[in-house]
Amino acid sequence: MTDARRRRTGEALGFWLLLAPSLLLLVLVFARTVAGVVRMSFNGWTPPSFYVEDVVLDHYVRLATDPLIREAAFNTVVLAFQAALTSVVLAYVMTLIVWLRPKRFRLTVIGLMLCPLLASEISIIFGWWLVLPRNGLLSYMLVGSGLVSEKINLLYTEFAAFLGLVYAILPYSFFILLSVMDRQDRLLIEASADLGASPLSTFREVVLPLTWRGVVLAFSQALIWAFGIYATPSALGPDTLWTMGQRIQEEMIGRANWPLASAIAVAMIAAIALLLVVMRTVEPKERTA
Amino acid sequence: MRRSGDITARLLWAAGLLVLGVVSVYVALPVAIAFVMSFSGGQILRFPIQSWSLRWYADFFGSPQYVDALVNTLVIALGATVLSVAAGTASAWAISRRKNLATGALTLLHMLPLFVPGVVLGLGIAITFGNVRLFGMDLYGTRFIVMLAHSLWGMPLVMMLMETTFRSLDRQVLEASRDLGAGPFTTFREIVLPEVRTAILSSALFSFVVSVNEFYMALFLTTRDTQTLPVLMWLSLRSAGSPRLAVAAVVLMTIVLVSLVLLASGLRRKERVRG
Repeated sequence: MTDARRRRTGEALGFWLLLAPSLLLLVLVFARTVAGVVRMSFNGWTPPSFYVEDVVLDHYVRLATDPLIREAAFNTVVLAFQAALTSVVLAYVMTLIVWLRPKRFRLTVIGLMLCPLLASEISIIFGWWLVLPRNGLLSYMLVGSGLVSEKINLLYTEFAAFLGLVYAILPYSFFILLSVMDRQDRLLIEASADLGASPLSTFREVVLPLTWRGVVLAFSQALIWAFGIYATPSALGPDTLWTMGQRIQEEMIGRANWPLASAIAVAMIAAIALLLVVMRTVEPKERTA
Repeated sequence: MRRSGDITARLLWAAGLLVLGVVSVYVALPVAIAFVMSFSGGQILRFPIQSWSLRWYADFFGSPQYVDALVNTLVIALGATVLSVAAGTASAWAISRRKNLATGALTLLHMLPLFVPGVVLGLGIAITFGNVRLFGMDLYGTRFIVMLAHSLWGMPLVMMLMETTFRSLDRQVLEASRDLGAGPFTTFREIVLPEVRTAILSSALFSFVVSVNEFYMALFLTTRDTQTLPVLMWLSLRSAGSPRLAVAAVVLMTIVLVSLVLLASGLRRKERVRG
């Protein structure tokens, strides 16, 4: 009896000892950080000091009323939705091809999709800087091929910001969808065709319902990633295209207004938490055939 | 009926291949072009490239600022990898041995940092640890604080990968080892570790690559002395868009590729040992 109890105590001790390093990291760094941001967002601000110990709601009032911040929030949400939707559609087409003809495409396409995943966002921004401007590669190739007569500039446009953002989140959508697609049985398609269904109705009635869960998962994940990315839209988009992340950087580093920067950060965390809850409620149950 | 289905199928397939082709060019373009531009001999970024040279590589490795940034990037990534793998593997082992409500909650807790944007974590860590001193040194601005920050993303990734791996282990072998009198450490070292080497190496690579490329937290947490390569690139992007940045981009990608190759050769060696 005592032996069994001693062993159980030993196991419990081992369990918590093993968890200790990551729990320390989560509590001492992560939880403290989140708590610190929340606390900071209620502090007062009297320049030139970064903040004044206080409990005020000023910054949340500004969050709701300041047209600059509202515009940044609007831009962030619109850009993120557009990019997430586009990335899921593109990734879906690609995973479908890889799934249908794995021998021919699988390795090549996976290798290709590793590019945006393994390259730093800043390297990619620099790559677009070489492609998009008036003297860039795209303009050079279009003029050279005679398709357009004058040099064109795409840098600092909303389209460039969109292009860059889709690039950054495409691999996440792709790999999430691929893992879901891989679990489905390819014979189902043949069965459906043998029963006389057209390719479109096979897609609509068989493939899409089976992979819908992956679509929802990829979309929400892409959306969350897109929320947090601001270097790309800021470096590729027009100067007027402010996003939430960039507002945080500006308030924190540019204007030394720590409480306001923190309030924006809290709003971002709240938005993501809301998104996760919504996705969790609409998320379909896993369907296996 | 059957014929019209065939035609639709072909059209759809062709449309799909077209999308695949366009996306392939789109994905490869910025990476390829940075690579090509790094060998340009010109002062400015324009097309067509007039001359070819390695002068920007010489310029990059001759610049103390860029070399320092490169060293910072590597040191921080190595530190973050060690922290992530150690903490993540230990938790994964603990959690994978049990299955109840509490471990579900623990797993979720480990995942939370992945859902918080880098800019929020960077800002938060900067204000929370801005005036914390450790062993008489300011924590803020050190490489150590960036390692800790990057492990917030590395550790959950390692945890996820290792938990699935540990769960797929044969429990009977583990029990047999225990019945034969091996302690938990011996069992782990002799039975578990050889089985999960691949997974540990892969998860180490994951956290290394995440840290090498991470930019937002590093921007908020580093000073001029500790800034990483992505941060330095970002800060010089608007002021000096020279081919030197192309070299920096190529260097970052090379680091990632080299670690991939090291991983692959590590895996091959394991196969040879077994076969």
